[in-house]
Amino acid sequence: MRFDIDSYREIADSLVRNRSRSLLTGFGVFWGIFMLLFLIGGGAGLKQLVTSNFEGFATNTTIMFANNTSKPWQGYKQGRAWDLNYTDVERMKQMVPELETVTPVISSWGQTAVNGTNSVNANVKCVAADYSKIEEPKLRFGRFINESDVAQERKVCVIGRRIYEGIFPEGGDPCGTFIKVGAVYYQVIGVDYNSGNISINGSADQAVVIPLSLGQKIFHKGTNIDLLCVTGKSGVRMSSLEDRMRQILARSHNFDPTDKQAVFMVNTEQMFALMDNLFTGLNFLIWLVGLGTILAGIIGVSNIMMVTVKERTTEIGIRRAIGATPRDILSQIILESIALTLVAGSLGIVFAVQMLRLTQTIVNHIPDMSGNFQISFWTAVAAVVLLSMLGVIAGLAPASRAMSIKPVDAMREE
Amino acid sequence: MLIELKDVNKTYNNGQPLHVLKGIDLSIDKGEFVSIMGASGSGKSTLLNILGILDNYDTGEYYIDGRLIKGLSEKQAADYRNRLIGFIFQSFNIIGFKTAVENVELPLFYQGVSRSKRHEMAMEYLDRLGLADWATHYPNEMSGGQKQRVAIARALITKPKIILADEPTGALDSKTSEEVMQLLGRLNREEGVTIIVVTHESGVANCTDKIVHIKDGLIGRIEDNRMHRASVFGADTIMK
Repeated sequence: MRFDIDSYREIADSLVRNRSRSLLTGFGVFWGIFMLLFLIGGGAGLKQLVTSNFEGFATNTTIMFANNTSKPWQGYKQGRAWDLNYTDVERMKQMVPELETVTPVISSWGQTAVNGTNSVNANVKCVAADYSKIEEPKLRFGRFINESDVAQERKVCVIGRRIYEGIFPEGGDPCGTFIKVGAVYYQVIGVDYNSGNISINGSADQAVVIPLSLGQKIFHKGTNIDLLCVTGKSGVRMSSLEDRMRQILARSHNFDPTDKQAVFMVNTEQMFALMDNLFTGLNFLIWLVGLGTILAGIIGVSNIMMVTVKERTTEIGIRRAIGATPRDILSQIILESIALTLVAGSLGIVFAVQMLRLTQTIVNHIPDMSGNFQISFWTAVAAVVLLSMLGVIAGLAPASRAMSIKPVDAMREE
Repeated sequence: MLIELKDVNKTYNNGQPLHVLKGIDLSIDKGEFVSIMGASGSGKSTLLNILGILDNYDTGEYYIDGRLIKGLSEKQAADYRNRLIGFIFQSFNIIGFKTAVENVELPLFYQGVSRSKRHEMAMEYLDRLGLADWATHYPNEMSGGQKQRVAIARALITKPKIILADEPTGALDSKTSEEVMQLLGRLNREEGVTIIVVTHESGVANCTDKIVHIKDGLIGRIEDNRMHRASVFGADTIMK
């Protein structure tokens, strides 16, 4: 193969000579690569948007709370109410060794947090120190509730982001300040910026978190608790423990161990699995549509190159007569095909990147939404490599046809 | 002998077998100016294609400068065409979207000659054919005679051993035809290029030194025409 500036100029010439044809053909490839990259970027961004709702949440958590029974059992009627209590925490810890954390929660909704003249609606969550293993706090200031807080029933609280913004409009470190929630003053010891939308008994943004022991007394709960949150040790599938946990509770609270309604269990594992499946499906669709569109574009290129070769039979015949080897002709046609594909495809990449940027800007303007919609640099590089390969493939059939042109054909065409 | 054909046969097998060349024996020496004359269907185009390594023959032997031309690979054939033979066609066959100088450069491009070198050489040849001013013009801006001269420059640029001209005046008027034939004659006399012209016009044949008549696939009479008296009508001009 012989290569110099003229080879490139010739390729450019022959593409420019049929400007509208090259444009229309190139558009197929342009649109294909745009679709693929835009969908990949958009899909990744969407996934981020959705998973940000699960932020800071342990993936193998089960949350349970007591519900009315749905089956009669040992003389008790169905529809009986019961409560989880403190002993259930110890019982779970001892009887289910696969569990890493067992922690109770008491909550009180519809409270108001007040600091000076500012007030904001709040939910009070009463937790033990190990609750941080269920819903990991992202502390902006201070610390989380610790074991001493619980043991000594200290009147301290950790506040969520919205509470902080609502009652401390001037910003700054609020730690040490006393705020009033309900009838009680609590000293602020931390600010939690966790903004995940999945949360237990209300979002973390709007929570005032206080020590569990204190909450029991303030809200007159006795030994009853509202929720029991458990996480499994790594490698444990929570769904496999559900029946055993229900049986343990059934035995101590006298309900039918097969009564699934009596204990309401939410398993995050299933939710994550559902999401994963959803996005696997979505990705499959993205690739199917994207690659399909590119393929259509490439077939278009191949087709047009075929027509070009047919049109240029005389020219190719002349070249062969004056000494072009079949390989020279092959490389010429394939290079033209690659050039067309690459130029159109690169424009498609640029356009996709710009559109993704626009999408990202628009989405991130919506409050509480943020995601990275952009494709990575290496995705773009891979796209370019893919394009050159597709260019070669598109050029193969027309090139082999061009190679079969004999020099005599040039003279016969006249 | 520069060119030697020994009992060359060629049959086309398109549906009904057509025996076009029925044993051609022909020798052409270096520096000769020969025309091959025959009616259409006589096999002269087929003979030209074989001489130009554009087509294969079935049996017999064909030597250029002692080299047997038979069963060549495409690559080898392309190389021989490029280095040994220069083509001039009836319909010029210069590439329409390239300028005159680019057309002349093309054979050197396939030889792998550097860009500036081939441009320089192409300009030199165009200048010799009086087309230096037309170097950057496209073929559709040129007259038939000019186009044919571009084609001649392209044929000459590789310094081939043989120039094969297929009806070089077929698309030209009588005045330009004469100019082109005189040009070929001058190239033959002054530079000693071996030229083979295929034609059916007796006037054109009359410009050459030797006329080979071909009829029904066989070589007929071979006329010595150094006096250029073969055609009564062609004594002074080319009749159209």
